[in-house]
Amino acid sequence: MSLASTDTMKAGPSMLARLFARQELALLLCLILVIAFFSFTAENFFSVRNMTNVLGQASLALTAGIGCAIVFISGEVDISIGSLLATIALPLIIIMNDTNSLLLGVGGALLFGLIIGVVNGYLTAYAGINSLIVTLGTMFIMRGGVYLYTGQRAIPDDAALDSFIALSDGRLFNVVPYSAVIAIVLLVVFAYMMQHRPFGRQIYAVGGNPEVARLAGYDVRRVKFICFVISALLATVAGIILAARVGSAQHTAGLNFEFQVVAATVLGGVSLAGGIGSLTGMALGVLILQFLSNGLRGLGLPTEWQLVITGMIIIAAVAFDEAKRRRIVGG
Amino acid sequence: MSVDFLHPGEGTAVDTGVPALEMRGIDKRFPGVVALDNVDLTLEPGKIHALMGENGAGKSTLIKIMAGVYGKDAGTIRMRGRELDIKSPRDSLKEGIKVVFQEIALISEFTVAENIFLEGYPTGKGGSIDWRKIRADSAALFNRIGFNVDPAARTGSLPVSQQQMVEIARALAHEARVVVMDEPTSSLTPNEISLLFTVIRRLAALGIAVLYVSHKLDEVFEIADTVTVLRDGRHVSTRPIGEHTNDTLIQDMIGRRIESLFPRKRGTPGSKVALSVQGLSTAKKLKDVSFEANAGEVLGFFGLMGAGRTELAKAIVGFDPITSGTISVDGRGLLPHDTHTGVRLGIGLLTEDRKSEGLMGELPVYQNASLASLGAFARMGFIDKAGERKAVQDYVDRFRIKTPSLFQQIKNLSGGNQQKVLISRWLMRGLKVIVVDEPTRGIDVGAKSEIFALIDRLAGEGLAVVMMTSEMPELLGLADRIAVMCEGRLTAIMSRDDATQEKILNAAIG
Repeated sequence: MSLASTDTMKAGPSMLARLFARQELALLLCLILVIAFFSFTAENFFSVRNMTNVLGQASLALTAGIGCAIVFISGEVDISIGSLLATIALPLIIIMNDTNSLLLGVGGALLFGLIIGVVNGYLTAYAGINSLIVTLGTMFIMRGGVYLYTGQRAIPDDAALDSFIALSDGRLFNVVPYSAVIAIVLLVVFAYMMQHRPFGRQIYAVGGNPEVARLAGYDVRRVKFICFVISALLATVAGIILAARVGSAQHTAGLNFEFQVVAATVLGGVSLAGGIGSLTGMALGVLILQFLSNGLRGLGLPTEWQLVITGMIIIAAVAFDEAKRRRIVGG
Repeated sequence: MSVDFLHPGEGTAVDTGVPALEMRGIDKRFPGVVALDNVDLTLEPGKIHALMGENGAGKSTLIKIMAGVYGKDAGTIRMRGRELDIKSPRDSLKEGIKVVFQEIALISEFTVAENIFLEGYPTGKGGSIDWRKIRADSAALFNRIGFNVDPAARTGSLPVSQQQMVEIARALAHEARVVVMDEPTSSLTPNEISLLFTVIRRLAALGIAVLYVSHKLDEVFEIADTVTVLRDGRHVSTRPIGEHTNDTLIQDMIGRRIESLFPRKRGTPGSKVALSVQGLSTAKKLKDVSFEANAGEVLGFFGLMGAGRTELAKAIVGFDPITSGTISVDGRGLLPHDTHTGVRLGIGLLTEDRKSEGLMGELPVYQNASLASLGAFARMGFIDKAGERKAVQDYVDRFRIKTPSLFQQIKNLSGGNQQKVLISRWLMRGLKVIVVDEPTRGIDVGAKSEIFALIDRLAGEGLAVVMMTSEMPELLGLADRIAVMCEGRLTAIMSRDDATQEKILNAAIG
């Protein structure tokens, strides 16, 4: 290295250029474009009511997406979250029906989620089985278990506790749905953890290069294990909100939900390879897809077309990202 | 005592006499290889101790045991008299043993400053990371040691030499009792090397024990107080540097005369040109490289790290794209420039990176051997299994490949035997030119001479062998002619009889 080379390095790109190079800003721009487009074209799109409704709808994917993104960043995947949504509704609804206590119901659901997280985490991090296989397995096992237990009939929420129902239609200051508030609070807490707590940075290091992380004294297996537990617990929270919304435990709840979340996470710039991406990006990815689907419905486009368009957007976004990265690496 | 390089003056009393680190009777075995056999090493506080030996002597294994990367099979490690139980890198770091590895061990997505503090982030109230302190301290650290690296830069965007300086700085960011540097100068410029030496002397002055791993004689004479030499996994000598001369050090490292290593059996090569390369350039490295290799000849290419040997090897077999120049095998041009054409013309590469570019680790020995010549065993589109195995068995017998059976997964074989299988792969295909890149990397010394004998035999059977090597004894012992590269250019070609170590090194430096 010569002195001259560092000088040019320090001069570097301008502040503005650096901001625009950031993934999150590009995503934010996309979100604004989507909202602007539908505000002009779709009826009743740009209203406080519709906006907050979309936010409420997005809260499930936002909450579970935190876990999904964290597991991605650690270099693994978790696709068991959709089935988990349906499964934890069973202890939740059954306990509430028996005890009339929201706290006990939620406690039971979280305990169940914790167990699933421990199983996923143990089999992946300690037993060394590929996480796609492990979570594919637990996904099938849980879905099958729910079908068997319910006999494919919904178990209604007979307790009908006010506090539980408020989770679905209550709004803070009569504006923001509680479910969205929960999602936003969790998002802020975990985004802070990922950037400012040593554990969050350890997750990035482990996903970025596990060998280097081990040499730096990290317990790679423990970090990955905890990521799976976090993911399962957050999916449990999403499952509780979903159960409140549908007012029952249903065997089809959360079907394909994992793929919506994975799609939004990838769109948000979180790399499947690990070590790259942010929760902010994930959240923007979720919102873009949610507003897109809401707006397309407002235009009267059938759901089938929404799927097609979503698929194309995801591939385009990741291809664009890949091209950008290659240009950087290629120098 | 332990010393924090960022805050010197705290606890810097040097109590000599008690070793900072004492390794006794260290044994380490890998499948088929004894990497370390009863090795002792004692590091004194405030002293710079050089660890020397050829490739494969056991240097890396020893420091990986020190760092907790490998466990030891036998022996004890003591720090100032207290026995340590090092099970993982974390245990070793906690004891203040900081190892700067040869391979870059940084997270490329992180900033330089974050990488410096990877091992333990400074935290403020409530345990959140104090980013301001990280930035300030890493800037201060670079300032103090005189390295010119931008702490805010994304690590992966820096050139290798700067990344290496980040590695070195990282070892100093936390309390250290023992600092180990494994070939730290391999990609540094002379200026940076003298900075590094200043830093190392300062570390010693602060009472830190420094272990400096290198095979460069001049560096060791400049910096070390004491030298330990390992050979073939055994301790050879530990002496103050003042008792050594160039010759005694080389004698200890090599332990026998170079010539005796390679019993040359083949006759003089013919004059038929098998490979002709004219004006070859690539986008990244090679500049106007021209040479010819004759049938029955071993043409050795020497060069320091980054000289472009591997790039040349990959370009002439059609693996990497070229920007200009021609390559012809037996007079036929390598066009289009790809490995499919290369193999058809009869040129193949024995890669330096066996694991990722050579072996199909999970597959059995016979499938690894026949991989390049499946077409020859096909009967109406189906593989003639019996014929395939018979052909492979012939090679196993001829080359005395040690494997329990043809069905053994190749990953379970020793490095030397793996290499023989890969050579068989190319010979089954019927090559005219074989390019071998660092043919004995990762192969223990006993098996090395067998690989040498094999290469000797290949040339004896009329193949042109183009051998890329960084090991002088290999070069002088095997090659008929020696080509030297420097920064992508060919700087000299000489016959073996004219070659001396000095001539070769001069050409390699440029």
